[in-house]
Amino acid sequence: MSSEAQESQISNKITCSDVTCPVCGISCDDIDVELDDVSVVTRNACIMGDAKFKELRSPHRILTPLINGKEAPWSEAIDKAAEILVNAKRPFFFVGSETSTEAMGVAIEIAETVGGLVDGNATICHGPTVMAIQDVGQAGCTLGETRNRADLDIYWGANPEDAHPRHLSRHSIFVRGFFAEQGRKGRQIIVVDPRRSTTAEHADLHLQLKPGTDFEVLNAIMTILNGFEPHESFTEVTGISREDIHKAAQMVEDARFGVIWVGLGIASTRGKHYNASMAMRLTQLGNNYGKFVILANRGHCNVAGFNEVLAWSCGFPYAVDFSTGEPRYQPGEYSTVDALRRKEVDALFCMCADLGAHLPKKAVERLAEIPVVSIETAEGPQAFISNVVLPGVLDAMECEGTFYRMDNVPIYARSFCDPPFDFTKSNEDTCKQLLDAVQQKLAAREKAEGEEAARPKTLSEEEFGQRLDKLLSRV
Amino acid sequence: MDIILNTGGTAFQGAVIKGGRKFTDEYTKEAAYCDINPTDFEELGKPWFVKLTNDLGDSVILRAKKTDRQQRGEVFVPRGPWANIIVTPVTESTGSPAYKNLKIQIEKANGPVLGPEELMKKYYTKRTSGQVAGGE
Repeated sequence: MSSEAQESQISNKITCSDVTCPVCGISCDDIDVELDDVSVVTRNACIMGDAKFKELRSPHRILTPLINGKEAPWSEAIDKAAEILVNAKRPFFFVGSETSTEAMGVAIEIAETVGGLVDGNATICHGPTVMAIQDVGQAGCTLGETRNRADLDIYWGANPEDAHPRHLSRHSIFVRGFFAEQGRKGRQIIVVDPRRSTTAEHADLHLQLKPGTDFEVLNAIMTILNGFEPHESFTEVTGISREDIHKAAQMVEDARFGVIWVGLGIASTRGKHYNASMAMRLTQLGNNYGKFVILANRGHCNVAGFNEVLAWSCGFPYAVDFSTGEPRYQPGEYSTVDALRRKEVDALFCMCADLGAHLPKKAVERLAEIPVVSIETAEGPQAFISNVVLPGVLDAMECEGTFYRMDNVPIYARSFCDPPFDFTKSNEDTCKQLLDAVQQKLAAREKAEGEEAARPKTLSEEEFGQRLDKLLSRV
Repeated sequence: MDIILNTGGTAFQGAVIKGGRKFTDEYTKEAAYCDINPTDFEELGKPWFVKLTNDLGDSVILRAKKTDRQQRGEVFVPRGPWANIIVTPVTESTGSPAYKNLKIQIEKANGPVLGPEELMKKYYTKRTSGQVAGGE
């Protein structure tokens, strides 16, 4: 693989190859970009990646800090943001996923400094799958192995044709691999989805189950593999015929290298981590016949990175509370939707995510009630519900950083141009400036409290009179 | 009519939000619709618009789209602020709300479908007085 960068002074045109895409979880690293003063042209990028690269020259880009919707100097916005976070009793830090692990690390440090709660996109995405990994364990592999070896791809509750448009051509169905040289002809495809999704159109077998019956269908395949017959109510409960479920079990048994790609159809539906746990148990069982692995189709370029950074920072993957001075982990209590729904959060910091658009109404209602600080690149629901907006920097374009791909492989994304402002170099830089401001305010408060405690107490005339009356009344 | 709601991303909705066009008509076009099975579509009276309501009483109006990609008794709404009006915050102690497999009610309705900015203004009144946590 070669990569090149050329720059012409005359046209201010930049041409780069093998750029890393900062959008979905497969973090494609083969994007060609041509950038000049007014336009962006990409090659190899999907519709979502192309749209993100075009943000470099977008009329919607937020270029100036905002306080309550009005433009403000950068220093004032940082000061205001720090004031909000320091004054809050229960501050919440939502660390989004389309930024670097380096920025995430600093954001987590701010949360620890003020004793806040920390969560990330995993909580509303593959959080339940992460819980299942803790429960059961994951037999995984890299995307290179799926590309070169897999002869059975099972998309369970996943629709990569929409969510990861280049997944099928780079890592699974259509690609010709070293031990899968026939490409599509050498691979069997099962799609498990209540919808006839665009991915399902490529399937050799589409199990169009009733919503909420993933657990039962997974269990039925395992039952057949263990030599038994599913319960007589199976078809009535799941909507899947016995013929199809036996066919699926046979395909698992025949596979030399099978991959279960789990999507949010498993994690977001009723049963959640129990569904994902059962998919991991099926993976374990599949290893009795051939090699079998399971991978989560993570939605953002660095959502896996958030789990990694938080886990190596404090031992837990998401939903962490630092308020006692040490990290405590409890999905359902310290996770974003739950903490907001209970209205216990009184200030929120959000980096590179749109909670205004993607949280349930009851959670967004709380965001509208409390001060919100956001690092955001474009106007939209998140900027709408924010009191302080700090302009975001586009990772992998305007600054460098590390992304963890959906298979947990770290990719170092290089930059090829500068941010359109000079007050910050990256989201990591923004977080560091915010951390400095927070630490200064905490030090000033500590000093003031110390001075207050050391000062001799003197009573006003009125207070003296009241105390004297009280004493005399006892006599 | 009782029905099951599934929400999820689409490539076109994804392109709109990744491209920062979240307060444009494109977002309305790509995220403010409801996919309905043809038989359910007939039973609803061939609606131009539908109103979806959850058990909490929250409701939203969306464009109705007839498609045989849906099974009977299920509808699909793309991920976004419209869908999340009716997604409930029940996480089963995982942090993940009921984005899929949610029982709701659907009925024929009249428009209009709100644009993203109007939707935010209607459902969420942001305090912009400059107050911050702890008072100011």
